[in-house]
Amino acid sequence: MAARRQWSPYVDNGGTVVGVAGKDFCVMAADTRLSLGYSVPARDVSRLTKLAPSVVIGTAGMQADTARLHNVIQTNMTVYEHSHRRVMRLGAIAQMLSVLLYQRRFFPYYTFNVIGGIDEHGEGFVYGYDAIGSHERVKVVCTGSAQSQIQPVLDNQVEFKQQYGSQKRDLSLEETVDLVKDVFSSACERDIYTGDFLEIYKITKAGSEMERFELKLD
Amino acid sequence: MTDILSYNGGTIVAMAGDRCVAIASDRRLGVQYTTIATDMTRVFKMHDRLLLGLTGLATDLTTLRNLFNFRLNLYKMREGRLIKPKTFANLVSSTLYAKRFGPYFCEPVIAGLDDEGNPFLCAMDLLGASSNDDSFVVCGTSAESLLGTCETFYQPGLGPDDLFETISQCLLSALDRDCLSGWGAEVYILTPSGITHKTLKARMD
Repeated sequence: MAARRQWSPYVDNGGTVVGVAGKDFCVMAADTRLSLGYSVPARDVSRLTKLAPSVVIGTAGMQADTARLHNVIQTNMTVYEHSHRRVMRLGAIAQMLSVLLYQRRFFPYYTFNVIGGIDEHGEGFVYGYDAIGSHERVKVVCTGSAQSQIQPVLDNQVEFKQQYGSQKRDLSLEETVDLVKDVFSSACERDIYTGDFLEIYKITKAGSEMERFELKLD
Repeated sequence: MTDILSYNGGTIVAMAGDRCVAIASDRRLGVQYTTIATDMTRVFKMHDRLLLGLTGLATDLTTLRNLFNFRLNLYKMREGRLIKPKTFANLVSSTLYAKRFGPYFCEPVIAGLDDEGNPFLCAMDLLGASSNDDSFVVCGTSAESLLGTCETFYQPGLGPDDLFETISQCLLSALDRDCLSGWGAEVYILTPSGITHKTLKARMD
């Protein structure tokens, strides 16, 4: 019996997002390739949105749901700002996203989110999510098509796992940015859905700065 | 029983250095999510300059190991010399393809040194499609993770000691993210002067 073609509301646009938090900074990075099957409809689609001066969200998965979700978050934040007379803090944004995602428990947003930023004490953190809102506050997270390639490298280089001789230490902002560029270069080699350009946000208490790097176009 | 190649678990990586090669594997033998042995050997010495690693279904691993030992003995008897790595790679490929419509569920990794002492690396899928590489090759349940770690940590021209450290870190980091591989690791370093074998203790889960 041959399988019938069934229409699906979901599509995977690929892409990879990485978030690494330090003592007083946070680095959020994502590639900009939009894939559809084996084609590349766009090379310059941003997966990162600055929600607050020191909070950035990155999302891999389906671009339509990503765009909508980011919009919904920003709208809710605006309402919050009108009621509370201040910008939402990192922890509150993180909790709100979880609630938003679970509200769509039975027709989920096809989104794999990472929120990174500086909390009210000045310390950097990232939050990783699944599609229906399960989240965890950590120091290092990656998600998307090259997740299996990148995660073990971050375990080894940021958390110093399996390194019995070396002393675990905190990485500086520059070291973290260099590491993130390296892992994305490696990911581009082996994952067809990752490539084109890399956007990196360097987030500190003072604000966020975005830089762009070229990745391989193949 | 969805994926036969991941039924028993297991992973292998091989890397080339400066006139040396390294091949490393995990030690777990499982039946889906149950671990039944933690001292499984996946890498076999074919001769002093040739190592064969096998991932996939354990029963086919055993069968192929015995089959290749047998074929190598025949080759040695007829040719009067040891088989070259690239010839052996061809032998493995043909043997697997002969079972094209009822294959062995095994994905081999071959690491050796040719007569001049230059490294030879080759990985194959279960039907015998081979890919040669100067840098590294991977097979098994943590293949994707290994591709990530090797792509980041590998540099060409490493000596035996540096190669050992590099391949160990690549494998150990990748094993920690795969529940079907792990329970320690074995690393073989092959140089023109001989083979060294080290066992690594890692997260025993």
